Amino acid sequence: MDAQLEIQLIATVVAIACAIPGVFLVLRKMALISDAISHSILPGIVIGFFITEDLNSPLLILLAAVTGVITVVLVEAIQKTGLVKEDTAIGLVFPALFSIGVILIAKNANDVHLDVDAVLLGELAFAPFDRLIISGIDVGPKSLWVMGGILLATVGMLFAFFKELKVSTFDAGLSAALGFSPVVLHYGLMTVSSVTVVGAFEAVGAVLVVALMIAPAATAYLLTSDLKKMLVLSVIFGVTSAIAGYWMAHFLDASISGSMTTVLGLVFLTVYLFAPSKGLIAVMYRQKQQRTEVSLLTFLLHLNNHDEESERRVQHLNEHINWQKVRSKTVLDLAQKNNLIAIENDLVTLTSKGKEFTDLALEYIITNKDEKIEHMKDDFFLFRG
Amino acid sequence: MELSDYFSQVFSDYTLRTITLGTAILGAICGMLGSFAVLRKQSLLGDAISHAALPGIAIAFLITGTKDTNVLLLGALVSGLIGTFWIRGMITKTHLKSDTALGLVLSLFFGFGMLLLTYIQKQPNANQAGLDKYLFGQAATLVESDVWLMAIVTSVCLVVLLLFWKEFKILLFDADYTKTLGFNTRFIDVLITFFIVLAIVLGLQTVGVVLMSAMLLAPAAAARQWTNKLSVMIVLAAIFGAFSGVFGTAISASQNNLSTGPVIVLVAGVFVLFSFVFSPGRGILFKQLRVYQNRRDLKLQKTLQFMFDIARTHEDISHPHAIRILNNFQGYTKATLQELIEKDWVSVSGQNWSMTEKGYDAAQNLYNKN
Repeated sequence: MDAQLEIQLIATVVAIACAIPGVFLVLRKMALISDAISHSILPGIVIGFFITEDLNSPLLILLAAVTGVITVVLVEAIQKTGLVKEDTAIGLVFPALFSIGVILIAKNANDVHLDVDAVLLGELAFAPFDRLIISGIDVGPKSLWVMGGILLATVGMLFAFFKELKVSTFDAGLSAALGFSPVVLHYGLMTVSSVTVVGAFEAVGAVLVVALMIAPAATAYLLTSDLKKMLVLSVIFGVTSAIAGYWMAHFLDASISGSMTTVLGLVFLTVYLFAPSKGLIAVMYRQKQQRTEVSLLTFLLHLNNHDEESERRVQHLNEHINWQKVRSKTVLDLAQKNNLIAIENDLVTLTSKGKEFTDLALEYIITNKDEKIEHMKDDFFLFRG
Repeated sequence: MELSDYFSQVFSDYTLRTITLGTAILGAICGMLGSFAVLRKQSLLGDAISHAALPGIAIAFLITGTKDTNVLLLGALVSGLIGTFWIRGMITKTHLKSDTALGLVLSLFFGFGMLLLTYIQKQPNANQAGLDKYLFGQAATLVESDVWLMAIVTSVCLVVLLLFWKEFKILLFDADYTKTLGFNTRFIDVLITFFIVLAIVLGLQTVGVVLMSAMLLAPAAAARQWTNKLSVMIVLAAIFGAFSGVFGTAISASQNNLSTGPVIVLVAGVFVLFSFVFSPGRGILFKQLRVYQNRRDLKLQKTLQFMFDIARTHEDISHPHAIRILNNFQGYTKATLQELIEKDWVSVSGQNWSMTEKGYDAAQNLYNKN
């Protein structure tokens, strides 16, 4: 296998291994815990490195993962005191642990060939040089084996505990009532996240692990509300961005992890803007539509209330309801297109359909059942705002 | 250098003086504005923005080609603001939650910044070295003009804070009410956010991207424990921040191989820890003491109630009873009995106790307070 292929393979494995826990972190509103873990494992890595002198040793990964879990426990302990809010607790714990790590490195700079840059930023390009050699035979890059192992474990646990994870993510109370301890699942997820972060930091760096965890999941979340689809989509986004990022870095001659993140960012930005129903453009369009339709309703109610001619003149709209010209024209056009009003000699009257709609709408406003109005609009409107 | 050397040289040595002043001012402004971030539940905004500032620094360098701090910080400010408003847009316009939005902006901007930095490093331009000092911060690179910049920004910020004090305060505690009063909440909101971003950008050079969030949070979180008053909290946070800066600089200057940023953060962390434990109103220590006090009172009352129930059945309330009948009772210990005697509610003679008039009244009114 040549180095290029190996790098892409490692990137793919890292992307998948990160995307799976990432989905659950995003859904549980704990995305920032991954950021906290990725920074606070530093002291664990440093201490592990003092002992083993090898960045890929299982002991080091174990120690660092323990530090990650300790971070979570510390954050929760501070939260439990009620002295500060959760996010403040996160913001206090990880810089402190990170500082300890930086100081440990600085104080032992002469003995340790470990650099804060290396931990934070990682360098995928060097990953193929560190080979795993079993009884004299070169079986491939070490980090591929490490990450592959982590990925297998993650996937295994995902399949084994899918139902439990799902129920505890969406309804912790129900999951506790059914006998799946949310606490155990919580710490299980935290452990998996810690281990993944530790395994991946060498390849992509601590900060960019966060991108690989959150960005694919957030992108998928904008496209679907189905957990299985979300998992599949985020894995797809993660892997394509990782491979596209590698080639971009190849052509720009720049950091692989940086360009992987940039591609992830571009993918997210595209989906954020153009996602069919949850994207920015769709949301803004829908909000504009709803605004016009609310204006229309106000206008119809106004017509319904007033029989006198002076209140039903077209110009009167501008004065009485104080709408701008454009807006009143949009509303009038929409009402006319939907056959809700008829205009004769600048005089607006409700049609029978308009009257029916207004009466129903009044009833809606009085009983105030939120979902009703959308069906009503579907029934009455040929054209939407 | 020993710590005492540091304090004797801090006024005479140019470098030490500059760095100390710089970190002190930085700590003060971060504490001040951090109070708002903490109270607005935007604690991690600082973390996201400091990371989001990185591509701004790189782009500013790519465009101008200079390493002038002010130009680079301007770039950082712009990209920090873009990050902030994107976070806000994501939270209001999509169903992504604030934690996801923060994490996204943090990691995506930072990754893009890294891409640009590595791209710059490969350029045949010898001028680029030293851009990565913004990653971890190097207080040692502070020069007098940087300190002046910080001082000016801090005073501007102070003036704005005093001018808009009422607006900031009311927005902080009741945003809806502010709106109904006719204040332009969006303007106030943008103003305070702008200053928070400004403070973060200023700190990048000194403590770096990663630790900036702690600079913002820690003094404010510590100050919060001592008071419930906004003005006091801000002043306290500024003081804590300034002292963390000075002590951090002192410690790192007196040791070899200690970078200033992490030490400042750890000193601020000590302030937080101390406040968490020892603050009289909210601190863990005094809270625990109050819990014990209440528990003891409750036990005392339980014993008294039990005695009262016995005494009630006798015509003479001070009829003596054997102490050992209390033995199987949960609230009873030698200490509680002793305390009851001290309060003159019960009198003991030999192995018998008897209730006093005063104790009987107290027990009768135990549950009819007011």
